[in-house]
Amino acid sequence: MDLSSLLNALILGVSIASIWLIAALGLTIIYGTAGVINMAHGELIMLGAYSSYMLQFHLGLPYLLCLPASFVIVALVGLALERGLIRYLYNRPLDTLLATYGVSLVLMQGVRLIFGSDPKYLAVPEIFQSNVMLGSVSLSAFRIVVVAVTALLVIGLWLLFYKTRYGVQVRAVMQNKEMAASFGINAGRIYMLTFALGAGLAGVAGALFGVLAIVLPTMGASYVVQAFLMVVVGGGSLAGSVVASGVTGELQSVFAFFTNDTFARFIIFVLIVIFLRFRPQGLFAQAGARR
Amino acid sequence: MSGLLEIRNLSKSFDATKVINDFSMEVVEGTICCLVGPNGAGKTTTMDLITGRIKPTSGKVFFANDDITAKHEHLIARAGIGRKFQVPAVLRDMSVQQNLEVAFSRQTNPFRNLFKFRKAGLKDKLDEVATLAGLTGRLKERAGILSHGETQWLEIGMVLMQEPRLLLMDEPIAGMTEGEAEKTAQIFKDLRKSATLLVVEHDMGFVREIADVVVVMHMGSLLAQGTIQQIEADRRVRDVYLGEQEAA
Amino acid sequence: MGNLYYNKTAQWAVYVVFFAALGVVPLMVSDSFLLNQFATYGVYGMLALSLSLCWGFGGILNLGQGIAFGLGAYGMAMTMQMQSQTESNPIPPFMLNNSLESLPMLWQPFQSTTLGLILAVAAPTLFCAVFGGIMFRARVSGPFFAIMTLAMLSAFYTIILDRQAYTGGVNGLTPPGSFQFGDFEIDPYSPAAYWVVFGFLMGATFLTKLITQSSFGLVTQAIRDDAERVRFLGYSVAGYETVIYTISGLIAAVAGCCWVMLVQYVSPAQMDVSFSLSIVIWAAIGGRHSLLGSILGAFIIQGAQSYLGDTFLATWLLILGGFFIVVVRFLPNGLASLVEKAFGLFERRDPTSSPAPDGGRPLPAE
Repeated sequence: MDLSSLLNALILGVSIASIWLIAALGLTIIYGTAGVINMAHGELIMLGAYSSYMLQFHLGLPYLLCLPASFVIVALVGLALERGLIRYLYNRPLDTLLATYGVSLVLMQGVRLIFGSDPKYLAVPEIFQSNVMLGSVSLSAFRIVVVAVTALLVIGLWLLFYKTRYGVQVRAVMQNKEMAASFGINAGRIYMLTFALGAGLAGVAGALFGVLAIVLPTMGASYVVQAFLMVVVGGGSLAGSVVASGVTGELQSVFAFFTNDTFARFIIFVLIVIFLRFRPQGLFAQAGARR
Repeated sequence: MSGLLEIRNLSKSFDATKVINDFSMEVVEGTICCLVGPNGAGKTTTMDLITGRIKPTSGKVFFANDDITAKHEHLIARAGIGRKFQVPAVLRDMSVQQNLEVAFSRQTNPFRNLFKFRKAGLKDKLDEVATLAGLTGRLKERAGILSHGETQWLEIGMVLMQEPRLLLMDEPIAGMTEGEAEKTAQIFKDLRKSATLLVVEHDMGFVREIADVVVVMHMGSLLAQGTIQQIEADRRVRDVYLGEQEAA
Repeated sequence: MGNLYYNKTAQWAVYVVFFAALGVVPLMVSDSFLLNQFATYGVYGMLALSLSLCWGFGGILNLGQGIAFGLGAYGMAMTMQMQSQTESNPIPPFMLNNSLESLPMLWQPFQSTTLGLILAVAAPTLFCAVFGGIMFRARVSGPFFAIMTLAMLSAFYTIILDRQAYTGGVNGLTPPGSFQFGDFEIDPYSPAAYWVVFGFLMGATFLTKLITQSSFGLVTQAIRDDAERVRFLGYSVAGYETVIYTISGLIAAVAGCCWVMLVQYVSPAQMDVSFSLSIVIWAAIGGRHSLLGSILGAFIIQGAQSYLGDTFLATWLLILGGFFIVVVRFLPNGLASLVEKAFGLFERRDPTSSPAPDGGRPLPAE
């Protein structure tokens, strides 16, 4: 193989990585903070896509405004979910996994009943529809938008977790819930806000994925497993998910270059299983070991 | 004279902290050895190192002249070492009888146990241990509802069901009444005929009653070793304990 | 005396009645299509049973039970496909469409029905033994193991999708004829097919029931309760976990074979995440701590699903999801625990019996 096609694969890899990462972001902070395995994450992504579709189709909202609006809508759904169900299950990790799978069924079928099974499409401004040449790679401008939004969100989350009072409280609760409580930190409130935030991030991801692919009630299912694997490989921390997604995206792109997309995904899954066999705590183990 | 259990130059560090520091001791077969020392001296860590729960940084543990250092927990247990934990660890969702039955582990091979419904010798052993532990009337209860004292007895019972050559008892009489403690002392002394005991205990009255040998640990190292009279006369030991009392 | 629910003799009696009832079904049902459908419920019952063993009794949540089921199903489909190939026409049509000119190595053993059947069951079982052995030895457990099974399931799903020339890709395999066993042809719509499934379900249930009541079952329950403690009793926790996970996989593989015999079809959908999770739902709603509860869970849910038909499928899945949430939240031991509580009430009216141990959590007898 020649160098320039490898370079192409690497550039494409950044784009793939950003998709893996943005799907996993919301899950990372929920799992990292509260230890909740949220199987409905894929459906929250799907809700984000449908929210954008609704806002665009019925209210004529410009696409770029749909991103923050989807964040708010899905965050509210997440808030309701946390208050109504998840908070009763914090000490039963396997049961949260099961209950949130029930939630995912309800959300998926609910959306199907309301919107039907036929695909919906999101319109984007014309400037995103063009292709951009990066070296010899032709990349759709929208994929660059995805990379940019992902980067912005990661920076935003980093600031939130490491530079704000909320972030300090979150980390305190992660380390030791009882100790944090004795310092007057309301762990329940922190979990609630974190869950809403994580859900909101899924909403943004959905608004983006709705453009990359078509909007369907079942679209979430394909993201949830891969999002989980990024979180677990990363060890539940933000930095972990960034690195895990980056490496996975690049590897997938390079493998796909030699074989094809599907086979590349197969290799990735197998490599992840092997990796976790030897490093079950993930890339960056959390200080407060949760497992 | 070589011991049933021999610990040679054992060290264990967590990160940069040395919890066990070049510690050696031995337990002679058919005796009761009491391991004492102030909190944080490394007694429970030593138990963890003997039973394979954690791996030492350096040093060796020999049991019946076999090197068992850093073997898997179940292999060490099978070699003949039974352990009662400091915080009593029983199977809370199972009945008292089931707890004792599981602990009766002469056959540990999963395939041999697949379709095994009666275990030879179980009934006699179960009756004997249940009587000894005073749990005969509680066999059908769920272990999770037992009182603290009963839970202690159940776990001691489980260790007895294992029929080990060496019994490690981490604070066996914590939470027991004086009468119960006396009974425990009597059982331990009877056990000495067929087994060897290593007991971690804070209650010096209990130690005085049962110990053949007392080993004092301090800051992860051996401070003193001898009969209870020797230990009580030892000035260093008194300093360590008094020092702790002053601090407290 | 205690709660009748835990009485072993009573339990066996219920099992015998249950299978006697299933046994008369072919005598009552003349519609061969319906009988075929009932037989597929039997297959789902086997799957629920296998999960109940692994999850309910062993405490190992397996979200990838579709791996063993799917591999078994593919093995069976390959065997049946090769039965319809002749010497003049030795290569399945879909391979020719994918421009394969000779039968690939992977397919050659399936030319022999005996070898094919052995492989269909042995390959998934071996996979479980190896994968389980590796994971459990590394002390991977709980939600973490569940995620690993999901990853493995996704890996199988993608590879089967990708290797179209060998697996039929997204279309799967549709063997044209029914299964021939020696000179005997098992028509999927005949009572014979029902009896085969019935026999395997009954055999697997009794086998599983025996295992849970044996010394092995006692140790696995102890591991579910507190794996760390059990190690210090001399049992190899990884060994026990691997064995129970493998037996569970074996039952699922047999179920996979039966399924293809009944529907003459297999596709990657059987290795889809949602299918494996529906097995979890059957066992959870029926009661994962009860073998019979799990089987009935599969019957009830799949029965309701096909009764309501495709038109109401979305509504049904919505209701199912909601119901599942309610069960997990309020009834973690499923519908079977209602039966247990009912017997508990009954028992308190009997003044001769000793008071029930605090009622709440079941003793692990069943």
